[in-house]
Amino acid sequence: FNLIPAILFSPPPRQENVDPQKTAFLLRKAWTLYSVTPLYGFRRGRLRDYARLLSAFIAAEKQKGLAVEVGVELDIKVALSSLAELRGSELDQAALLVQLSSRSRASSRSSEDKPVWLGWFCSVFGEDLSENVPEAFTCLPLFLTHGAESYTSLVGRWFQKTFDCCFRRLAISPMNLSWMVAMWAGCKLDRAASAVELVFSMPRLSQPLDISYAIHPEDAKALWDTVQKTPGEITQEEVDVFMDCLYAHFHRHFKIHLSAAKLVKVSTAVASAHCDGIVKILHSQYLPGVLMLLTELAISQIQ
Amino acid sequence: MDETVAEYIRRTVLKIPRDEIKMMLQKWGFLSESQLQTLNFHQIKDNISQEVVQLCEENSADIKQAAALDIIYNHIYQNKRMWSVYQMKKSGEELECFDIKDFKKRFKGRLRSALKNVTITFKEYEDNAIWIRVAWGTPYKKPNQYKPSYVVYHSQTPYVFISASVLKSNLPLLCQALIVASNYHDIREMELRSHSLNSLKDIVFKRYSQNFQTYNSKPLQGGNVEPENADIRIVHENRSEKERIHRLNQEVFGDGPQPKLEFAQYKLETMFKSHPKMDVLDKKEPFRCLVKFSSPHLLESLKSLAPAGMADTPISPLLTCIPHKARNYFKIREKKGTFPESFVSP
Repeated sequence: FNLIPAILFSPPPRQENVDPQKTAFLLRKAWTLYSVTPLYGFRRGRLRDYARLLSAFIAAEKQKGLAVEVGVELDIKVALSSLAELRGSELDQAALLVQLSSRSRASSRSSEDKPVWLGWFCSVFGEDLSENVPEAFTCLPLFLTHGAESYTSLVGRWFQKTFDCCFRRLAISPMNLSWMVAMWAGCKLDRAASAVELVFSMPRLSQPLDISYAIHPEDAKALWDTVQKTPGEITQEEVDVFMDCLYAHFHRHFKIHLSAAKLVKVSTAVASAHCDGIVKILHSQYLPGVLMLLTELAISQIQ
Repeated sequence: MDETVAEYIRRTVLKIPRDEIKMMLQKWGFLSESQLQTLNFHQIKDNISQEVVQLCEENSADIKQAAALDIIYNHIYQNKRMWSVYQMKKSGEELECFDIKDFKKRFKGRLRSALKNVTITFKEYEDNAIWIRVAWGTPYKKPNQYKPSYVVYHSQTPYVFISASVLKSNLPLLCQALIVASNYHDIREMELRSHSLNSLKDIVFKRYSQNFQTYNSKPLQGGNVEPENADIRIVHENRSEKERIHRLNQEVFGDGPQPKLEFAQYKLETMFKSHPKMDVLDKKEPFRCLVKFSSPHLLESLKSLAPAGMADTPISPLLTCIPHKARNYFKIREKKGTFPESFVSP
């Protein structure tokens, strides 16, 4: 990351037009992350058409027997919508939500629709990408999914062939994970927080070894507060010092070099992130900040 | 035959992998050899279990026999359960002769005087292990056969291994019955838990090869270092360093195979000590952490850390003390006084 404005993680960056109800569905779900290249020829006004086309595509794939998970009894209904609240600034495109629900053929009432898959495209402070891209392209570099992989594949393939874009799983490196844990550990939270946890995997051993290192949230925040010196921003150096402190404390007790291990997952009361590109956002207050981080990750994977 | 017994037998058989069913039924001994011959073990398990239930019907099986089959299954698949270790204490010094009949009688008596609805089953094994299965009910409900507790007691030792069911409220009663039955006066839970029952036994019975702290005056020859490191780039200094690490590792972990544990947990309540150059946290209160190590074979993986370059040699005694302290749950506090680097584990 470049310098991240610490303002996004200091208390409390109330974003006035974000209705917490509208974004509540994002919280406490495990989202699988992808980076997406800009969409060519996407028209915000044609969402209903797109929904119909995607629905037809899914039905056709089912006929071909390519959609393995989808039951023969179920019809898949597609809904596309925009979420203007989910963006960083006016320079960002509004988020695009894709919802798949199933309706058993047995019951024809629409109230019987059961959501089976959710995906959404977004851009939060993604100007780095959009300002360098021609008009015909729509930039929504971050794609988050929740639900069966088979549906993700179907939706992804349709978007790819319709808008000539490219999806890639977003991996989160140990360095990015340490940024996340340092920043999120420093967040001020009004209610009791869960522990700040780092999960490491030790490579190259005769038997695999996982280490979970969980710190009391007050103590982690106290440490971060003494490390973070530059007001208004967070630097790589500060993140390194924070991590070195944690490694040193661990080494003092166990004589093990955690710096030689692979950081695979971090978890705080704000959010948790796994190196395979899976994220869970737990606190609505910091939603914009987390999405901004992820947008930046997605953009750097595209470029 | 009672419907609930039939269903319980059916579900127990369903748990067994298909190629093991015949062997387990033979061990059970409730169905005759000729009855077993009539069973087709090549069909789907659903059908096999139905046929077994029918045969049990012919023999009028009751809950006692069904429970016996369950013990056999759990004895073979003991590693599916999580076991805790308890240690009993004797008040007196008299060496009493252990009488299994007395033990069973006292155990049953103590439990039944407190709880009417309880199913108690015993089975003795060759290694002097007494297996006890207890299914718990309430004054108004019949015992829940699907959530029993298991106890393994080696009568020549003060140790009891318990795999409690989810109904933890019955644990005190179970413990009481054990000390009454075995003539001890107290019992306490040790901070030692694992899925591998045999490894727990290895640890408390000291059956693993231990480091006896004797000075090994004969330095290990190069032959003991892993032969695949025949890398010509490893010059003499590196090789002797590798050997030193290997030797110290052996001293600390011992030569033989390690007992198999899956995890160790440390609750740290020690101070955070910052590097003098780093202008960071300097609190008077402990830096509270919870560290958990997990592995399919924890001690083997810890043993390989130093040779892999991920840990110092010698590695911390907090890790190497696990087998001989017979615990894998620790609470670590700062030791007051002259040695700020050492820790106390209560």
